Amino acid sequence: MSKFKDTILNPIFKGNPITVLILGICSSLAVTVELKGACVMALSVTIVTAVSSFICSLLRKTIPNRVRIIIQLVVVAMMVILVDQVLKAFAYAIDKQLSVYIGLIITNCIVMGRIEAFALGNKPIPSLLDGLANGLGYGLILIIVAFFRELFGSGTLFGIPVLSAIGYTNNGLMILPPMALILLGCVVWAQRSIDKSLQE
Amino acid sequence: MNTNNNVYTIVYTTVVCVLVAAVLAFASQKLKPMQEANEKAETISQILTAAQFAEKDELGAWGNAKVIEFFKDNINKAVLVNAQGEIVKSLDTKKAEVWGTSQLKAQKYGFPEGKYEIPVYIFNNGVSVLPVYGQGLWGPVWGYIALGGDLKTIVGAYFDHASETPGLGGKIKDDPSFRAQFVGKSIDLEKAKAFEIVKGGAPQGQSNAIDAISGATMTSNGLSGAINEWLDAYKNYIEAQNN
Amino acid sequence: MDLLSLFVKSIFVDNMIFAYFLGMCSYLAVSKNVKTANGLGIAVIFVLLITLPVNYLLNKFVLQPGALSWLGPKFAEVDLSFLSFILFIAVIAAIVQVVEMVVEKFLPSLYSSLGIFLPLIAVNCAILGGALFMQQREFANVGESAVYALGSGIGWYLAIVALAAIREKMAYSNVPKGLKGTGITFITVGLMGIGFMAFMGISL
Repeated sequence: MSKFKDTILNPIFKGNPITVLILGICSSLAVTVELKGACVMALSVTIVTAVSSFICSLLRKTIPNRVRIIIQLVVVAMMVILVDQVLKAFAYAIDKQLSVYIGLIITNCIVMGRIEAFALGNKPIPSLLDGLANGLGYGLILIIVAFFRELFGSGTLFGIPVLSAIGYTNNGLMILPPMALILLGCVVWAQRSIDKSLQE
Repeated sequence: MNTNNNVYTIVYTTVVCVLVAAVLAFASQKLKPMQEANEKAETISQILTAAQFAEKDELGAWGNAKVIEFFKDNINKAVLVNAQGEIVKSLDTKKAEVWGTSQLKAQKYGFPEGKYEIPVYIFNNGVSVLPVYGQGLWGPVWGYIALGGDLKTIVGAYFDHASETPGLGGKIKDDPSFRAQFVGKSIDLEKAKAFEIVKGGAPQGQSNAIDAISGATMTSNGLSGAINEWLDAYKNYIEAQNN
Repeated sequence: MDLLSLFVKSIFVDNMIFAYFLGMCSYLAVSKNVKTANGLGIAVIFVLLITLPVNYLLNKFVLQPGALSWLGPKFAEVDLSFLSFILFIAVIAAIVQVVEMVVEKFLPSLYSSLGIFLPLIAVNCAILGGALFMQQREFANVGESAVYALGSGIGWYLAIVALAAIREKMAYSNVPKGLKGTGITFITVGLMGIGFMAFMGISL
């Protein structure tokens, strides 16, 4: 039972995909300007990583090693496009929100990275959990960074004025990508000060 | 079983590709009618928002059927105009016929040679809505500009995009204050740029300029380019109507 | 646009790392020392240089609206551009797979040092981003797309070698314990990004 617990808890803190494994940085810079986008992206990546890890783990014994990357990408891309199509037909408003992220999800290295590193060598259920946990770990960092960027960059949270209501002048630098990197650096610093075993 | 021999690899890849293609083709075939209905209602509600009949979110709550009904009640005529400014065709307003983005994109290729037919939606209250379409930073941006009866004053605008950065370029759609800037401005076809989106803030008193979105230069430039390119394409039509 | 200014522009003004922040994951992870950074940088230039012209031809003769007209007038109306995403990825993945096999066979030492990151070039956003930018900018011929690919690749290469050199130096600096390694790297890249913002206004 503790192995299951490890599979779930490890990616959220000790083996966090962004701060420890350094996967999925591009998208975390792009979607952390506002909290809402960060939440949507976190949720979508969690679902996609979990389900595609599950599927690839089911197929793991049959995939020829030499073409595994193409097969993985095809599986991931098919799933994302399929979901996009279904939403477009039945829940158009939600699809409008998500469509911006579709490209970012397919090429997110967390999805591919977890399939390569975990799903291809493990049974389907642990793979599903690993995907789920990695998505959550990714989402956690996204939300922390987005919180500071939206608060100090636009003075709002979820679009509701917070700092701007009390006369704060927005810091334009916060909404530019370099600042996201510097914030990520600070998150890493905080994490490694709490857990000294992660220090290099 | 040896999964690394050539025959297996080729057969496996082929089977997977065929399967995936089949699933995707089946899904898109089955879902197409519903998707098209949704897209049409979306386009219509964007046009209605630009013309200031209602806010986009309210229209979303109405449901597709009511939006289309409202459009039919309020539209006077929808016409296609060519480079010479002549009206060449009418769209069927009884069926609420509107042009989607793919049709706009196709016509844009004809701009340099002056070979195009682009739509104008004219409402009963005299407002004309003109579509625009161009490239942002990551993908296409498009939208609708509503002009008053004089075809000069802007009464409203709505923009949409495929993949601009949320919170930066995405503000052309999400930030109502960006759109609100257009209201009351006017277009000036005499100038080299009929309408300007100025980085760092529009000069005070200039009636055909608004502020760009800070941190989203490429999207603002792309949108500005799209607006000017399309207004240029409509120039002869607007002049012919005003004479 | 003349080729030289396109080339310079794609290296500095439109730098994949500092202007668009594409290809970050492998950029941060493989920049520990100049030697491996060199290897990955060359791999990226190489992959971009092959995939972009291939994707250009694919776009021009298969995907664009009206691109299929060479098959006969019947096909002139077909617009396959909705397939561009998945086809670009497929082409990139296929080429990366080939490169991986070649490197594994002929340069085993490079293969072992690049480890997981060679397969991950397939999802390196810089490569796909390059293909999508190319489609958007509507280059006139294969030559332009190849020059653009070379420029973006070199820009990426320069960025990763520069960061690797800084990181090698930084190993001797007195960085706070928790910030050592990943943390200070993030911050360094952020500062380099702010520096590169100086190029943003330049139009060539």
